[in-house]
Amino acid sequence: MKVIGVYNIKGGVGKTATAVNIAYLAAEEGNRTLVWDLDPQAAATYYFRVRPKVKGGGKALVRDKRALDTVVKGTDFENLDLLPADFSFRNLDLVLEDAKQSTKRLSRLLKPLAEDYDYIFLDCPPSISLVSENIFRAADAILVPMIPTTLSARTLDQLLAFLGEHGQLRALRVLPLFTMVDRRKRLHLDIIERLAGDYPDLLATRIPDASDVERMGIHRQPLPAYAPSSAAARAYRALWDEIKTKLLAG
Amino acid sequence: MAQIACEYLIPDGIGLEDVKHLIRDRVRFIEDPTDEVTRRFLDSFDWRLYLDQATLEERLDAAGRRLVWRDLGADAPPRMQGIDAAPGFAWDLPTGPVRDRLEPVLGIRRLLPLLEVRSRVQSLRLLNEDDKTVVRLLLEDNRFRDADRDREGSLAARVCLLPVRGYAADLRETARMLSRDLELEPARNQVLSEALAAAGRCPGDYSSKLDYHLDGDQRADAAAKEILRGLLDTLEANIEGAKANLDSEFLHDLRVATRRTRSALTQIKGVFASELVEDYKTRFAWVQQITGPMRDLDVYLLDFDGYQARLPPSLRPCLEPLRAFLADHYDGVHKALVQALGSTEFKGLLTSWRAFLEAPVPERSAVRNAMRPTKAVADARIRSMYRRVRKAGRAITPDSPAPELHALRKHCKKLRYLLEFFSSLYPQQIGALVKMLKRLLDNLGRFQDTAVQVDHLRETAQQMQDAGGVETDTLLAMGALIGRLFDHQQQARVAFSAIFADFDSKPNRLVWRELFAPEGRRGQRA
Repeated sequence: MKVIGVYNIKGGVGKTATAVNIAYLAAEEGNRTLVWDLDPQAAATYYFRVRPKVKGGGKALVRDKRALDTVVKGTDFENLDLLPADFSFRNLDLVLEDAKQSTKRLSRLLKPLAEDYDYIFLDCPPSISLVSENIFRAADAILVPMIPTTLSARTLDQLLAFLGEHGQLRALRVLPLFTMVDRRKRLHLDIIERLAGDYPDLLATRIPDASDVERMGIHRQPLPAYAPSSAAARAYRALWDEIKTKLLAG
Repeated sequence: MAQIACEYLIPDGIGLEDVKHLIRDRVRFIEDPTDEVTRRFLDSFDWRLYLDQATLEERLDAAGRRLVWRDLGADAPPRMQGIDAAPGFAWDLPTGPVRDRLEPVLGIRRLLPLLEVRSRVQSLRLLNEDDKTVVRLLLEDNRFRDADRDREGSLAARVCLLPVRGYAADLRETARMLSRDLELEPARNQVLSEALAAAGRCPGDYSSKLDYHLDGDQRADAAAKEILRGLLDTLEANIEGAKANLDSEFLHDLRVATRRTRSALTQIKGVFASELVEDYKTRFAWVQQITGPMRDLDVYLLDFDGYQARLPPSLRPCLEPLRAFLADHYDGVHKALVQALGSTEFKGLLTSWRAFLEAPVPERSAVRNAMRPTKAVADARIRSMYRRVRKAGRAITPDSPAPELHALRKHCKKLRYLLEFFSSLYPQQIGALVKMLKRLLDNLGRFQDTAVQVDHLRETAQQMQDAGGVETDTLLAMGALIGRLFDHQQQARVAFSAIFADFDSKPNRLVWRELFAPEGRRGQRA
């Protein structure tokens, strides 16, 4: 089982679209795949037409009152399951703070799922918090979607600095990627070129800024399910292939 | 997960469209386009997947070409993995969830096609008020085709109910609707079982394991014929696979059946005329001989990674020319095997042997044990061979020459075969004895196989040198490997005395004596 967090300190950078679309592609290949929607905004849950409700909320999960596999919902797609979000996840930091070994809680909760899934994608809430730290500890790799703006490098640096300050997290694989790329914007191209030199693990695949992606909310489906041959779907396929190669390379 | 997929049979005379209409009256659903699905079911020749309560299919449908693994005993969703070539050995598959599950079950065997089920499948997705799929229903029109036996035909149409995790109540409700409102009958068997039965195939009909059900009062010559007929069946079942070299186990099983045949001929003494026994002993020894070179190469190549792992990493690549040398010889050796197995001599042997085994035993026989009860003959033979094993084993010292250990191993093998031939006469206790003997045999096998490997390596080194162009580094690596093998052999030798002492312990001796004591003396020594 590989756990992949999709994370950025900033919101609105395409985290959920990335998590949902590459999870769909992983499942399409036959991998038993789970998306855990940790964001109380519940966008991934919405895309899969599942109700954003977990009995007992985040507290029941964190305190082992309810096993994760009992709240999993099958999506409309084979091999692809969802652990839905719940509005109570907005207080997950507080609940985690009260738990023993508060930074390793998520990792412990995921362990029993190792037999059931080949890939688990964590759709993470923005911000840097105890929830994020839990995600960093649970994940084998973190995907960091970024819009090519001047702030991108700054938030990525903040993340890398945070990981650097925490000994056990230094080895975590961080794979940044660019999303919502508009090739007509000079600024986008300049930033991409500059950051590519600075971050060797930056993924080469770029996700274009496309209305097809925005329509995920209308179709309430992953993009490759309703527009499989669109440029953006092709980009997500290339991205998934690149991620697998990177993960296999270790 | 507390849900399972359920299947229902659609009675003759009701079409899939009728079922769909009946469902439409009751629930809201979306129809996916009708799909033509071909499922090629696979298993090893010895039914390893079936015995593991699993099925594997190569599935071709609109989504592409995939392997689908189902654990029938477990409450788990199927595992799937895309493929782009016909599956054979597990190690040739790309890494993925199916390969992970398959590899330990299939081992070194090859996947062979069982039969094909072709289906027209209409998928209905039952929706809740959020338009979320909560249950999947597949309406299947099925036909089977068994290309090997040139059989095909229709199977019952089915409704398959596929759960969506987290929507158990919807699943239960749909199941109720199918059985109560539509009065559909739940299918008792998987479509594979139904297709196998329709094709006249019996799952698990081949096993290299012996499974006789003898009668202790039966005449010993008749029982011996029964045992030998079973071995001949096994031998014959493996000929085509060995000739086609589908996997190395065909030849292995053929050789084991041959060895057991020779052992039965010599060890179930005095049941057939001695001239006949001598004749067939010689002819089956020839079979062993013509199949030996190919088996040696198989063992070498199967173990090759293990050989390399014994060497320090820097020497491992130096062994590659040896692998290439063996692989170069493989085709020639296999060709010779195919010729020998297709020869008049071999065919004549099997024909005359079968004719003898299938002929009824003579009403009266002057051969010493022929008319004695099987149990009495088995008791005596096992007692005698057990005594020989103990005597030879007790004579082994740390300085005994290798041939003495080899001779002991041969006695042990004969004893093991006798136990296996006659196990049905000693129903309960014999499993533990075979297990104990197997431990001893494993130890002796380690010792002897290592000696054989060392000899082979020496011979091969010479052959490579004669062929010219062998690198010094390769010879050095082979030398280092011989050194490692000697260490391994020495470890086996050191372990022998404790393993044999365990086998020869007083409580075990009592079990052996009691179990195989002559009829009138049973119970006296306990």
